[in-house]
Amino acid sequence: MTLWIFGGLAAIIIGAIIILLFYYYNRIRILYNRIEEAWAQIDVQLKKRYDLVPNLVETVKGYAKHEKEIFEKVAEARQGMISGSREERMDSSNQLTSTLKSLFAVAENYPILKANENFKLLQEQLEGIENKIAYARQYYNTSVLNYNNIITTIPGSWFAGNRTKHAFLTIPEEERSPVKVKF
Amino acid sequence: MLKTTFSDEIAKNKRLSILLAISVSLILFFLIYFMMYFLIPELILIALPISAIIIIIYTYSSYRFGDTVVLSATNAKPADTKEYQYLRDTIEGLSIASGISTPKAYVIQSEDLNAFATGRNPENASIAVTTGLINTLNRQELEGVIGHEISHIKNRDILFMTLVAVLVGLAAIISHLIIRSLWFGARQDRRDKNGFMIFLLIIGVIFAIIAPIATRLVQYAISRKREYLADASGVSLTRYPEGLASALEKIANKNKGRINVSDAVSHLFFVDPKQTSLDSLFATHPPIKERIKRLRTM
Repeated sequence: MTLWIFGGLAAIIIGAIIILLFYYYNRIRILYNRIEEAWAQIDVQLKKRYDLVPNLVETVKGYAKHEKEIFEKVAEARQGMISGSREERMDSSNQLTSTLKSLFAVAENYPILKANENFKLLQEQLEGIENKIAYARQYYNTSVLNYNNIITTIPGSWFAGNRTKHAFLTIPEEERSPVKVKF
Repeated sequence: MLKTTFSDEIAKNKRLSILLAISVSLILFFLIYFMMYFLIPELILIALPISAIIIIIYTYSSYRFGDTVVLSATNAKPADTKEYQYLRDTIEGLSIASGISTPKAYVIQSEDLNAFATGRNPENASIAVTTGLINTLNRQELEGVIGHEISHIKNRDILFMTLVAVLVGLAAIISHLIIRSLWFGARQDRRDKNGFMIFLLIIGVIFAIIAPIATRLVQYAISRKREYLADASGVSLTRYPEGLASALEKIANKNKGRINVSDAVSHLFFVDPKQTSLDSLFATHPPIKERIKRLRTM
Protein backbone atom coordinates (compact mmCIF):
# COMPACT_ATOMS: atom_id res chain seq x y z
CA MET A 1 0.00 0.00 0.00
CA THR A 2 2.64 2.52 1.05
CA LEU A 3 4.67 1.40 -1.95
CA TRP A 4 1.79 2.43 -4.20
CA ILE A 5 1.52 5.83 -2.51
CA PHE A 6 5.24 6.52 -2.85
CA GLY A 7 5.26 5.21 -6.40
CA GLY A 8 2.31 7.43 -7.31
CA LEU A 9 3.87 10.50 -5.70
CA ALA A 10 7.16 9.89 -7.48
CA ALA A 11 5.35 9.54 -10.80
CA ILE A 12 3.46 12.82 -10.24
CA ILE A 13 6.64 14.68 -9.31
CA ILE A 14 8.59 13.32 -12.27
CA GLY A 15 5.67 14.13 -14.56
CA ALA A 16 5.51 17.70 -13.24
CA ILE A 17 9.25 18.14 -13.72
CA ILE A 18 9.04 16.90 -17.29
CA ILE A 19 6.17 19.28 -18.07
CA LEU A 20 8.09 22.19 -16.54
CA LEU A 21 11.18 21.21 -18.49
CA PHE A 22 9.25 21.18 -21.76
CA TYR A 23 7.54 24.45 -20.97
CA TYR A 24 10.70 26.32 -20.09
CA TYR A 25 12.73 24.78 -22.89
CA ASN A 26 10.15 25.97 -25.42
CA ARG A 27 9.63 29.31 -23.74
CA ILE A 28 13.34 30.10 -23.77
CA ARG A 29 13.59 29.04 -27.43
CA ILE A 30 10.56 31.15 -28.39
CA LEU A 31 11.95 34.20 -26.65
CA TYR A 32 15.32 33.68 -28.29
CA ASN A 33 13.69 33.37 -31.72
CA ARG A 34 11.85 36.58 -31.04
CA ILE A 35 15.17 38.40 -30.70
CA GLU A 36 16.23 37.01 -34.08
CA GLU A 37 12.93 38.10 -35.59
CA ALA A 38 13.38 41.56 -34.10
CA TRP A 39 16.82 41.76 -35.66
CA ALA A 40 15.34 40.80 -39.03
CA GLN A 41 13.02 43.80 -38.68
CA ILE A 42 15.96 46.10 -38.10
CA ASP A 43 17.79 44.49 -40.99
CA VAL A 44 14.93 45.22 -43.39
CA GLN A 45 14.99 48.89 -42.46
CA LEU A 46 18.78 49.13 -42.66
CA LYS A 47 18.70 47.68 -46.18
CA LYS A 48 15.96 50.08 -47.26
CA ARG A 49 18.04 52.91 -45.98
CA TYR A 50 21.15 51.53 -47.65
CA ASP A 51 19.30 51.58 -50.98
CA LEU A 52 17.89 55.07 -50.55
CA VAL A 53 21.01 56.95 -49.54
CA PRO A 54 22.74 56.89 -52.99
CA ASN A 55 19.63 58.49 -54.54
CA LEU A 56 19.79 61.23 -51.98
CA VAL A 57 23.51 61.79 -52.49
CA GLU A 58 23.06 61.98 -56.27
CA THR A 59 20.27 64.51 -55.89
CA VAL A 60 22.32 66.68 -53.56
CA LYS A 61 25.42 66.37 -55.77
CA GLY A 62 23.47 67.87 -58.62
CA TYR A 63 23.27 71.15 -56.68
CA ALA A 64 26.19 71.08 -54.26
CA LYS A 65 29.10 69.32 -55.91
CA HIS A 66 31.85 70.68 -53.73
CA GLU A 67 30.61 69.33 -50.36
CA LYS A 68 32.89 66.33 -50.88
CA GLU A 69 33.79 65.75 -47.28
CA ILE A 70 30.19 65.06 -46.29
CA PHE A 71 29.58 62.73 -49.22
CA GLU A 72 32.57 60.66 -48.18
CA LYS A 73 31.39 60.41 -44.60
CA VAL A 74 27.93 59.36 -45.74
CA ALA A 75 29.37 56.71 -48.07
CA GLU A 76 31.56 55.34 -45.31
CA ALA A 77 28.76 55.05 -42.79
CA ARG A 78 26.49 53.54 -45.43
CA GLN A 79 29.01 50.84 -46.23
CA GLY A 80 29.37 49.95 -42.55
CA MET A 81 25.65 49.36 -42.24
CA ILE A 82 25.69 46.08 -44.12
CA SER A 83 28.77 44.36 -42.77
CA GLY A 84 30.10 43.38 -39.37
CA SER A 85 28.43 42.50 -36.09
CA ARG A 86 25.03 43.81 -35.08
CA GLU A 87 26.63 46.30 -32.74
CA GLU A 88 28.94 47.56 -35.50
CA ARG A 89 26.16 47.83 -38.02
CA MET A 90 23.99 49.77 -35.60
CA ASP A 91 26.94 52.05 -34.86
CA SER A 92 27.34 52.76 -38.56
CA SER A 93 23.62 53.37 -38.82
CA ASN A 94 23.75 55.85 -35.94
CA GLN A 95 26.73 57.50 -37.57
CA LEU A 96 24.79 57.74 -40.81
CA THR A 97 21.93 59.39 -38.92
CA SER A 98 24.20 62.17 -37.72
CA THR A 99 25.98 62.63 -41.06
CA LEU A 100 22.63 62.79 -42.82
CA LYS A 101 21.64 65.47 -40.36
CA SER A 102 24.62 67.57 -41.44
CA LEU A 103 23.84 66.79 -45.07
CA PHE A 104 20.36 68.17 -44.60
CA ALA A 105 21.83 71.15 -42.79
CA VAL A 106 24.05 71.79 -45.82
CA ALA A 107 21.03 71.53 -48.07
CA GLU A 108 19.53 74.46 -46.16
CA ASN A 109 22.07 76.67 -47.98
CA TYR A 110 20.72 75.70 -51.38
CA PRO A 111 17.17 76.98 -51.81
CA ILE A 112 16.76 75.34 -55.22
CA LEU A 113 17.74 71.96 -53.80
CA LYS A 114 15.41 72.42 -50.85
CA ALA A 115 12.54 73.04 -53.24
CA ASN A 116 13.32 69.95 -55.32
CA GLU A 117 10.38 67.53 -55.11
CA ASN A 118 12.58 64.48 -55.32
CA PHE A 119 14.77 65.75 -52.52
CA LYS A 120 11.78 66.42 -50.30
CA LEU A 121 10.42 62.96 -50.92
CA LEU A 122 13.76 61.33 -50.13
CA GLN A 123 14.08 63.37 -46.96
CA GLU A 124 10.63 62.25 -45.85
CA GLN A 125 11.32 58.61 -46.64
CA LEU A 126 14.63 58.65 -44.79
CA GLU A 127 13.03 60.25 -41.76
CA GLY A 128 10.33 57.57 -41.82
CA ILE A 129 12.94 54.83 -41.96
CA GLU A 130 14.91 56.41 -39.14
CA ASN A 131 11.82 56.29 -36.95
CA LYS A 132 11.17 52.69 -37.89
CA ILE A 133 14.74 51.77 -37.03
CA ALA A 134 14.24 53.37 -33.63
CA TYR A 135 11.05 51.39 -33.07
CA ALA A 136 12.58 48.16 -34.32
CA ARG A 137 15.47 48.70 -31.91
CA GLN A 138 12.99 49.22 -29.10
CA TYR A 139 11.27 45.93 -29.96
CA TYR A 140 14.67 44.24 -30.17
CA ASN A 141 15.64 45.48 -26.72
CA THR A 142 12.26 44.52 -25.24
CA SER A 143 12.74 41.03 -26.67
CA VAL A 144 16.25 40.86 -25.23
CA LEU A 145 14.92 41.96 -21.85
CA ASN A 146 12.27 39.22 -21.88
CA TYR A 147 14.85 36.63 -22.83
CA ASN A 148 17.35 37.77 -20.21
CA ASN A 149 14.62 37.81 -17.59
CA ILE A 150 13.56 34.24 -18.19
CA ILE A 151 17.07 32.79 -18.19
CA THR A 152 18.21 34.66 -15.09
CA THR A 153 15.19 34.32 -12.80
CA ILE A 154 14.02 31.23 -10.95
CA PRO A 155 12.71 28.81 -12.17
CA GLY A 156 13.75 29.63 -15.75
CA SER A 157 17.41 29.77 -14.75
CA TRP A 158 17.28 26.11 -13.70
CA PHE A 159 16.40 25.15 -17.25
CA ALA A 160 18.59 27.65 -19.07
CA GLY A 161 21.70 25.46 -19.11
CA ASN A 162 24.74 27.43 -20.17
CA ARG A 163 22.81 30.13 -21.98
CA THR A 164 24.12 33.60 -21.26
CA LYS A 165 22.46 36.97 -21.27
CA HIS A 166 21.94 38.53 -24.66
CA ALA A 167 23.43 41.96 -25.34
CA PHE A 168 21.21 45.02 -25.78
CA LEU A 169 21.58 47.41 -28.69
CA THR A 170 22.90 50.57 -27.12
CA ILE A 171 21.44 53.96 -27.77
CA PRO A 172 23.71 56.65 -29.21
CA GLU A 173 24.90 59.31 -26.77
CA GLU A 174 23.01 62.20 -28.38
CA GLU A 175 19.66 60.42 -28.10
CA ARG A 176 20.21 59.64 -24.48
CA SER A 177 20.41 63.25 -23.39
CA PRO A 178 17.05 64.96 -23.00
CA VAL A 179 15.87 67.11 -25.88
CA LYS A 180 16.44 70.79 -25.24
CA VAL A 181 13.89 73.17 -26.62
CA LYS A 182 15.21 76.57 -27.63
CA PHE A 183 13.12 79.61 -28.28
CA MET B 1 5.16 41.72 -16.78
CA LEU B 2 3.32 43.46 -19.58
CA LYS B 3 3.53 40.22 -21.53
CA THR B 4 1.35 38.32 -19.09
CA THR B 5 -1.10 41.21 -19.13
CA PHE B 6 -1.31 40.92 -22.90
CA SER B 7 -1.81 37.16 -22.96
CA ASP B 8 -4.40 37.43 -20.16
CA GLU B 9 -6.24 40.08 -22.13
CA ILE B 10 -6.07 38.02 -25.33
CA ALA B 11 -7.52 34.97 -23.58
CA LYS B 12 -10.24 37.09 -21.97
CA ASN B 13 -11.22 38.71 -25.24
CA LYS B 14 -11.43 35.40 -27.06
CA ARG B 15 -13.58 33.96 -24.26
CA LEU B 16 -15.88 36.99 -24.28
CA SER B 17 -16.17 36.85 -28.07
CA ILE B 18 -17.28 33.23 -28.02
CA LEU B 19 -19.73 33.94 -25.20
CA LEU B 20 -21.13 36.90 -27.09
CA ALA B 21 -21.48 34.95 -30.33
CA ILE B 22 -23.35 32.17 -28.54
CA SER B 23 -25.70 34.42 -26.61
CA VAL B 24 -26.49 36.63 -29.59
CA SER B 25 -27.19 33.51 -31.66
CA LEU B 26 -29.57 32.20 -29.01
CA ILE B 27 -31.35 35.52 -28.65
CA LEU B 28 -31.72 35.78 -32.42
CA PHE B 29 -33.02 32.25 -32.57
CA PHE B 30 -35.75 33.00 -30.04
CA LEU B 31 -36.61 36.25 -31.74
CA ILE B 32 -37.03 34.39 -35.02
CA TYR B 33 -39.04 31.71 -33.24
CA PHE B 34 -41.53 34.27 -31.96
CA MET B 35 -41.75 35.93 -35.32
CA MET B 36 -42.47 32.60 -36.98
CA TYR B 37 -45.03 31.71 -34.37
CA PHE B 38 -47.09 34.77 -35.13
CA LEU B 39 -46.60 35.04 -38.85
CA ILE B 40 -46.35 31.52 -40.27
CA PRO B 41 -47.08 28.97 -37.48
CA GLU B 42 -47.81 26.27 -40.11
CA LEU B 43 -44.22 26.24 -41.36
CA ILE B 44 -42.45 26.48 -38.04
CA LEU B 45 -40.92 22.99 -38.19
CA ILE B 46 -39.23 23.64 -41.51
CA ALA B 47 -38.39 27.25 -40.76
CA LEU B 48 -36.53 26.69 -37.52
CA PRO B 49 -33.66 24.54 -38.86
CA ILE B 50 -33.30 26.95 -41.77
CA SER B 51 -33.10 29.89 -39.42
CA ALA B 52 -30.52 28.01 -37.33
CA ILE B 53 -28.34 27.63 -40.43
CA ILE B 54 -28.82 31.28 -41.32
CA ILE B 55 -27.78 32.31 -37.79
CA ILE B 56 -24.64 30.18 -37.98
CA ILE B 57 -23.70 31.72 -41.34
CA TYR B 58 -24.48 35.15 -39.97
CA THR B 59 -22.32 34.68 -36.87
CA TYR B 60 -19.44 33.33 -38.91
CA SER B 61 -19.57 36.13 -41.45
CA SER B 62 -19.68 38.67 -38.61
CA TYR B 63 -16.42 37.18 -37.44
CA ARG B 64 -14.92 36.95 -40.90
CA PHE B 65 -16.16 40.20 -42.51
CA GLY B 66 -17.01 42.32 -39.46
CA ASP B 67 -14.14 44.69 -40.18
CA THR B 68 -15.39 45.33 -43.72
CA VAL B 69 -18.85 46.08 -42.37
CA VAL B 70 -17.49 48.49 -39.76
CA LEU B 71 -15.18 50.23 -42.23
CA SER B 72 -17.96 50.83 -44.72
CA ALA B 73 -20.44 51.83 -41.99
CA THR B 74 -18.01 54.56 -40.90
CA ASN B 75 -17.24 55.52 -44.50
CA ALA B 76 -13.52 54.84 -44.10
CA LYS B 77 -11.46 54.79 -47.30
CA PRO B 78 -8.09 53.09 -47.83
CA ALA B 79 -5.21 55.50 -47.18
CA ASP B 80 -3.00 54.31 -50.01
CA THR B 81 -2.17 57.59 -51.72
CA LYS B 82 1.06 59.52 -51.29
CA GLU B 83 -0.42 62.16 -49.00
CA TYR B 84 -0.97 59.55 -46.29
CA GLN B 85 2.58 58.19 -46.38
CA TYR B 86 3.18 59.83 -43.01
CA LEU B 87 0.21 58.00 -41.46
CA ARG B 88 1.29 54.66 -42.93
CA ASP B 89 4.85 55.19 -41.66
CA THR B 90 3.59 55.94 -38.17
CA ILE B 91 1.41 52.84 -38.14
CA GLU B 92 4.22 50.68 -39.48
CA GLY B 93 6.72 52.05 -36.95
CA LEU B 94 4.50 51.36 -33.96
CA SER B 95 3.52 47.92 -35.16
CA ILE B 96 7.22 47.13 -35.48
CA ALA B 97 7.72 48.31 -31.91
CA SER B 98 4.94 46.05 -30.65
CA GLY B 99 5.96 43.08 -32.79
CA ILE B 100 2.72 42.65 -34.76
CA SER B 101 2.30 42.74 -38.54
CA THR B 102 1.42 46.13 -39.99
CA PRO B 103 -2.34 46.89 -40.02
CA LYS B 104 -3.97 48.44 -43.09
CA ALA B 105 -4.48 52.21 -42.95
CA TYR B 106 -7.82 53.92 -43.59
CA VAL B 107 -9.01 57.53 -43.45
CA ILE B 108 -12.37 59.07 -42.68
CA GLN B 109 -13.12 62.50 -44.13
CA SER B 110 -14.08 64.53 -41.06
CA GLU B 111 -12.85 67.57 -39.23
CA ASP B 112 -13.39 65.82 -35.91
CA LEU B 113 -10.39 64.13 -34.32
CA ASN B 114 -10.96 60.44 -33.92
CA ALA B 115 -9.65 56.97 -34.78
CA PHE B 116 -10.51 53.31 -34.39
CA ALA B 117 -9.10 49.86 -35.00
CA THR B 118 -11.00 46.85 -36.25
CA GLY B 119 -10.37 43.30 -37.47
CA ARG B 120 -10.32 39.78 -36.09
CA ASN B 121 -6.61 39.33 -35.31
CA PRO B 122 -3.35 41.27 -35.77
CA GLU B 123 -2.81 39.71 -39.21
CA ASN B 124 -6.21 40.96 -40.38
CA ALA B 125 -6.48 44.35 -38.74
CA SER B 126 -7.12 47.90 -39.90
CA ILE B 127 -6.66 51.31 -38.33
CA ALA B 128 -8.84 54.19 -39.46
CA VAL B 129 -8.21 57.82 -38.54
CA THR B 130 -10.03 61.01 -39.45
CA THR B 131 -8.41 63.60 -41.70
CA GLY B 132 -8.86 66.07 -38.84
CA LEU B 133 -6.65 63.91 -36.66
CA ILE B 134 -3.84 63.77 -39.24
CA ASN B 135 -4.01 67.50 -39.88
CA THR B 136 -4.23 68.70 -36.29
CA LEU B 137 -1.94 66.47 -34.25
CA ASN B 138 1.84 66.65 -34.26
CA ARG B 139 4.02 63.58 -34.60
CA GLN B 140 4.15 62.66 -30.88
CA GLU B 141 0.42 63.10 -30.48
CA LEU B 142 -0.39 61.02 -33.55
CA GLU B 143 1.99 58.33 -32.34
CA GLY B 144 0.18 58.36 -28.99
CA VAL B 145 -3.20 57.75 -30.65
CA ILE B 146 -1.84 55.09 -33.04
CA GLY B 147 -0.07 53.37 -30.12
CA HIS B 148 -3.43 53.19 -28.33
CA GLU B 149 -5.05 51.58 -31.39
CA ILE B 150 -2.14 49.15 -31.87
CA SER B 151 -2.68 48.01 -28.27
CA HIS B 152 -6.35 47.36 -29.03
CA ILE B 153 -5.19 45.19 -31.91
CA LYS B 154 -2.50 43.39 -29.97
CA ASN B 155 -4.72 42.32 -27.09
CA ARG B 156 -7.64 41.37 -29.41
CA ASP B 157 -9.99 44.07 -28.18
CA ILE B 158 -10.73 44.55 -31.86
CA LEU B 159 -12.17 41.06 -32.18
CA PHE B 160 -14.67 41.51 -29.36
CA MET B 161 -15.51 45.12 -30.15
CA THR B 162 -16.07 44.43 -33.85
CA LEU B 163 -18.27 41.45 -33.02
CA VAL B 164 -20.30 43.60 -30.64
CA ALA B 165 -20.74 46.21 -33.36
CA VAL B 166 -21.86 43.76 -36.03
CA LEU B 167 -23.75 41.10 -34.06
CA VAL B 168 -25.43 43.51 -31.72
CA GLY B 169 -26.14 46.01 -34.46
CA LEU B 170 -28.19 43.47 -36.34
CA ALA B 171 -29.98 42.20 -33.22
CA ALA B 172 -31.19 45.75 -32.69
CA ILE B 173 -32.43 45.99 -36.26
CA ILE B 174 -34.27 42.67 -36.04
CA SER B 175 -36.04 43.49 -32.79
CA HIS B 176 -37.02 46.75 -34.42
CA LEU B 177 -38.56 44.71 -37.24
CA ILE B 178 -40.41 42.52 -34.73
CA ILE B 179 -42.14 45.47 -33.15
CA ARG B 180 -43.27 46.55 -36.59
CA SER B 181 -44.55 43.11 -37.58
CA LEU B 182 -46.41 42.80 -34.29
CA TRP B 183 -48.15 46.08 -34.95
CA PHE B 184 -48.97 44.84 -38.38
CA GLY B 185 -50.16 41.42 -37.12
CA ALA B 186 -52.38 42.98 -34.48
CA ARG B 187 -54.47 44.61 -37.15
CA GLN B 188 -55.21 41.30 -38.81
CA ASP B 189 -57.70 39.03 -37.16
CA ARG B 190 -55.81 36.60 -35.00
CA ARG B 191 -57.88 36.93 -31.90
CA ASP B 192 -59.55 33.57 -32.48
CA LYS B 193 -56.47 31.96 -30.91
CA ASN B 194 -56.59 31.63 -27.18
CA GLY B 195 -55.02 33.44 -24.28
CA PHE B 196 -51.73 31.59 -24.68
CA MET B 197 -51.12 33.47 -27.87
CA ILE B 198 -51.66 36.77 -26.14
CA PHE B 199 -49.21 35.64 -23.51
CA LEU B 200 -46.61 34.94 -26.22
CA LEU B 201 -47.42 38.22 -27.88
CA ILE B 202 -46.63 40.02 -24.66
CA ILE B 203 -43.38 38.13 -24.29
CA GLY B 204 -42.54 38.94 -27.89
CA VAL B 205 -43.12 42.62 -27.24
CA ILE B 206 -41.02 42.50 -24.08
CA PHE B 207 -38.25 40.81 -26.05
CA ALA B 208 -38.41 43.38 -28.76
CA ILE B 209 -38.17 46.14 -26.19
CA ILE B 210 -35.42 44.48 -24.18
CA ALA B 211 -33.19 43.62 -27.15
CA PRO B 212 -32.02 47.12 -28.01
CA ILE B 213 -31.65 48.05 -24.37
CA ALA B 214 -29.64 44.93 -23.65
CA THR B 215 -27.45 45.53 -26.66
CA ARG B 216 -26.87 49.10 -25.58
CA LEU B 217 -25.90 47.88 -22.13
CA VAL B 218 -23.43 45.40 -23.60
CA GLN B 219 -21.83 48.22 -25.54
CA TYR B 220 -21.60 50.39 -22.48
CA ALA B 221 -20.14 47.63 -20.36
CA ILE B 222 -17.29 46.73 -22.62
CA SER B 223 -15.24 49.83 -23.17
CA ARG B 224 -14.14 51.74 -20.14
CA LYS B 225 -11.45 49.51 -18.65
CA ARG B 226 -10.20 48.65 -22.13
CA GLU B 227 -9.60 52.30 -22.93
CA TYR B 228 -7.47 52.87 -19.83
CA LEU B 229 -5.54 49.70 -20.53
CA ALA B 230 -4.98 50.62 -24.18
CA ASP B 231 -3.82 54.08 -23.08
CA ALA B 232 -1.30 52.53 -20.71
CA SER B 233 0.04 49.87 -23.07
CA GLY B 234 0.06 52.31 -25.98
CA VAL B 235 2.30 54.56 -23.95
CA SER B 236 4.61 51.63 -23.25
CA LEU B 237 5.21 51.58 -27.02
CA THR B 238 5.78 55.28 -27.56
CA ARG B 239 7.44 55.79 -24.14
CA TYR B 240 5.91 59.24 -24.05
CA PRO B 241 2.67 59.67 -22.06
CA GLU B 242 2.56 63.40 -22.71
CA GLY B 243 2.04 62.81 -26.44
CA LEU B 244 -1.20 60.95 -25.86
CA ALA B 245 -2.26 63.32 -23.09
CA SER B 246 -1.91 66.40 -25.27
CA ALA B 247 -3.65 64.60 -28.14
CA LEU B 248 -6.61 64.02 -25.80
CA GLU B 249 -6.54 67.67 -24.79
CA LYS B 250 -6.72 68.82 -28.40
CA ILE B 251 -9.52 66.36 -29.04
CA ALA B 252 -11.50 67.60 -26.04
CA ASN B 253 -11.21 71.15 -27.32
CA LYS B 254 -11.89 70.59 -31.00
CA ASN B 255 -14.43 67.78 -31.38
CA LYS B 256 -17.98 68.79 -32.12
CA GLY B 257 -19.68 65.46 -32.83
CA ARG B 258 -19.30 65.90 -36.58
CA ILE B 259 -18.78 62.23 -37.44
CA ASN B 260 -22.13 60.74 -38.26
CA VAL B 261 -21.97 57.09 -37.19
CA SER B 262 -24.44 54.59 -35.85
CA ASP B 263 -24.56 53.81 -32.13
CA ALA B 264 -23.60 50.26 -33.04
CA VAL B 265 -20.02 51.30 -33.84
CA SER B 266 -19.41 54.26 -31.53
CA HIS B 267 -17.68 52.11 -28.89
CA LEU B 268 -14.90 51.30 -31.36
CA PHE B 269 -13.69 54.88 -31.50
CA PHE B 270 -10.75 56.44 -29.71
CA VAL B 271 -13.08 58.97 -28.09
CA ASP B 272 -16.87 58.91 -28.16
CA PRO B 273 -17.84 60.33 -31.58
CA LYS B 274 -21.04 61.84 -30.16
CA GLN B 275 -19.19 63.29 -27.20
CA THR B 276 -22.13 63.92 -25.00
CA SER B 277 -20.68 64.28 -21.52
CA LEU B 278 -24.17 64.10 -20.03
CA ASP B 279 -24.51 60.61 -18.61
CA SER B 280 -21.13 59.32 -17.58
CA LEU B 281 -22.83 56.26 -16.08
CA PHE B 282 -23.72 54.85 -19.48
CA ALA B 283 -20.82 56.32 -21.44
CA THR B 284 -18.88 53.95 -23.67
CA HIS B 285 -15.71 55.88 -23.00
CA PRO B 286 -14.10 57.04 -19.78
CA PRO B 287 -14.12 60.81 -19.46
CA ILE B 288 -11.27 62.43 -21.38
CA LYS B 289 -10.23 64.45 -18.32
CA GLU B 290 -9.76 61.29 -16.29
CA ARG B 291 -7.70 59.71 -19.07
CA ILE B 292 -5.45 62.76 -19.25
CA LYS B 293 -5.04 62.76 -15.48
CA ARG B 294 -3.99 59.11 -15.45
CA LEU B 295 -1.50 59.68 -18.27
CA ARG B 296 0.07 62.66 -16.55
CA THR B 297 0.60 60.73 -13.31
CA MET B 298 2.32 57.83 -15.03
